[in-house]
Amino acid sequence: MDFLGAFTPDNLIFLLKGFYVTLKVAFISIIFSFIIGGALGTIRFTKIPIVSNIAAVLVETIRNLPLLLIILFTYFALPEIGINLGITVSAIVALTIFESAMLAEIVRGGLISIEKGQMEAARSSGLSYIQALRLVILPQALRRMVPNLVSQFISLLKDTSLAVVIALPELLHHAKIIQAQELSYVIPIFLLIALMYFVVNFALSLIAKRLELKSA
Amino acid sequence: MISFGHVNKYYGDFHVLKDIDLTIKTGEVVVIIGPSGSGKSTLLRCINRLETITDGSLTVKDVHLNDKKTDINKVRRKIGMVFQHFNLYPHKTVLENIMLAPINALGISKEEAKKTAEFYLDKVGIPDKATSFPSQLSGGQQQRVAIARGLAMKPEIMLFDEPTSALDPEMVGEVLDVMKALAEEGMTMVVVTHEMGFAKEVGDRIVFIDQGKILEEAAPVEFFENPKEERAQVFLSRILNH
Repeated sequence: MDFLGAFTPDNLIFLLKGFYVTLKVAFISIIFSFIIGGALGTIRFTKIPIVSNIAAVLVETIRNLPLLLIILFTYFALPEIGINLGITVSAIVALTIFESAMLAEIVRGGLISIEKGQMEAARSSGLSYIQALRLVILPQALRRMVPNLVSQFISLLKDTSLAVVIALPELLHHAKIIQAQELSYVIPIFLLIALMYFVVNFALSLIAKRLELKSA
Repeated sequence: MISFGHVNKYYGDFHVLKDIDLTIKTGEVVVIIGPSGSGKSTLLRCINRLETITDGSLTVKDVHLNDKKTDINKVRRKIGMVFQHFNLYPHKTVLENIMLAPINALGISKEEAKKTAEFYLDKVGIPDKATSFPSQLSGGQQQRVAIARGLAMKPEIMLFDEPTSALDPEMVGEVLDVMKALAEEGMTMVVVTHEMGFAKEVGDRIVFIDQGKILEEAAPVEFFENPKEERAQVFLSRILNH
């Protein structure tokens, strides 16, 4: 083990660059998957014939596939039918597809958890279904979803490391490059990137706790 | 105002409402009583189409509720509803609870909605709770807010679905008082309740329902002193002599 030797300025900067890609890909995927997952979960909740069924089939299919398979498919299979997304976009698309399905279920679960009387009160006061959903049900459901949403966001951030298989220049990928050059760096570098993942994810859980306390 | 004509309702094979014929006139206070599971709440909930009827005709202000072309949101704006469990919106303050529908369903301005909300909050006797959240109120106060919320839409009909059943006994009176005042002002009211004192004092007419059927319809004095149907007699003796 060579701790001091491993943490050269060059290596640290290289790792930070990788971490920047990790955070960037995670952040963009979180935004997209929250929008798409939110829409899918809400549509599935509404039980509108056909539309709701399509959402259910999509969510169930994707949820039951390994993320790694989706990443490999997006990068290696899509070019075969003429869709060439490149490494970063492939990673973002694959993560977004997978996490949208996961988030859709969280959103649907949150919506279902709101007492039936809330919808009845809103509807009987003359609000339309969409208004009732937007003004009464969703705001309450969102608060209940916060812990599950954040834990899914944390999963997503960690799952970016799976994109190492398509050589996305993220944190784990950069760590492996450094380790390949010098075997004695393996443990120090692993420990360091573990710490980097931990700090960011733990901070996210703390924020979630704060939000929970506020809405309680 | 409200007219049921040969209304039937099924939940699958279960016949919940059987050949209901009932007319409620403007300004009338009709109290629906009957054993639990008799269909009285279902009957009430048909009036604003929280439940749909299977067949027969049901009109509110001459609008057919089971007509596909009926804009139910428009009908509902004229009908206030108060629930057993209040169903206030927990994420909104008392004032916001009352203002929500007037602003979003009627499209009136925030300032006007606030004025209306304050007026009705004052009317139900808790003007000081405007900025509280429902969870900070007692059951009786919550139910009074729910009544104010219904009134803020300036409805022509108010429906009450066991409004005091979920309340601690000492809070029942404050809610009944508000309802009584409302009845005295001439509001058309349909009330499902187990409060026989209220039924007797405030009701213009008692409708007794059992197993989905209207068994007896009479003025309160007549109904309580001289019930014709045997089942109504049994029901009353159980309720009044405990």
